[in-house]
Amino acid sequence: MDPIDLFDLRALFERHRILVCFNGPISRGLIEEIGNALRNYLDAEQTKPGAATDVFSIYIELTQNIRRYAASRGYSDAETAATVVVARHDDGHYMVLAGNLVEQDDGAVLLQRIEELSRLDKAELKAAYKAQLRAPRPSEPGAGAGLGLIEIARRAAQPLRAMLTDVGGGRGFFSLCAIV
Amino acid sequence: MDSLNIVATQSTPSVIADWDSGVISMAGDSYPENSFEFFDQVFGWIESYLANTERPLTLELRIVYMNTSSVKAMMDIFDLFEEQHGKGRQVSVRWLYDARNERVVEMAEEFKEDCTFPFEIRVDG
Repeated sequence: MDPIDLFDLRALFERHRILVCFNGPISRGLIEEIGNALRNYLDAEQTKPGAATDVFSIYIELTQNIRRYAASRGYSDAETAATVVVARHDDGHYMVLAGNLVEQDDGAVLLQRIEELSRLDKAELKAAYKAQLRAPRPSEPGAGAGLGLIEIARRAAQPLRAMLTDVGGGRGFFSLCAIV
Repeated sequence: MDSLNIVATQSTPSVIADWDSGVISMAGDSYPENSFEFFDQVFGWIESYLANTERPLTLELRIVYMNTSSVKAMMDIFDLFEEQHGKGRQVSVRWLYDARNERVVEMAEEFKEDCTFPFEIRVDG
């Protein structure tokens, strides 16, 4: 195997203006540590506190969703992996992306859900959020409130974009991109 | 009855509940992975206070950021307040925020929309 050309990799990071990038098994502590680094970067960049909260919030909802999903599917710690990228976007916007391996069927359901959310305006998203807030609390321990995706859509400046790539064995790589 | 004193962590707020004064204060960020577990102790204290005293209760919040599962757990507390308010019990929320972050006010206002008990939102300090 050829050695990794770090200069090339760096050039890729620079070109996409990536602030934070992670790929691998993700633990609760790691989510907090990366989140902390992210907040420090945003602070150093003089991001407005409101915008920084939006970026941080989307990062937290995405990564906690990934861990929750892996737990619900009984994935091992090693399988509880995520790919996370936070990059600068045009005009002071930020791009937050996160992806993980999912059962292909679950991925299809998620794509459908994102598609539905992308058609809602801010007022409709707020109504959906409030309705979900009133939905019964999930019974299984550690399950989420089911609010995460709506929260992400509400904070995003543009409709969410999602992709599902078949990796074989009934699984796919699901990724979500939010622009804040 | 005991007062409650929980030290803040990176992802959970501090909680100081004073049985004698009837004030429970939470400050910091709230985004634990298992919010229900964290909020259970807070909820338990509030339930116990309401059941064992007749005195007013104030929830004072200096919460900056909450993940959605914390929002849901906080909603349970506000629902309990709403129910008690309906029974004539004196309960109130005071949300103090830093004027630089407009997201905090938006979050507080959205909670307030569904509450009829006294719910004050004002700049801290």
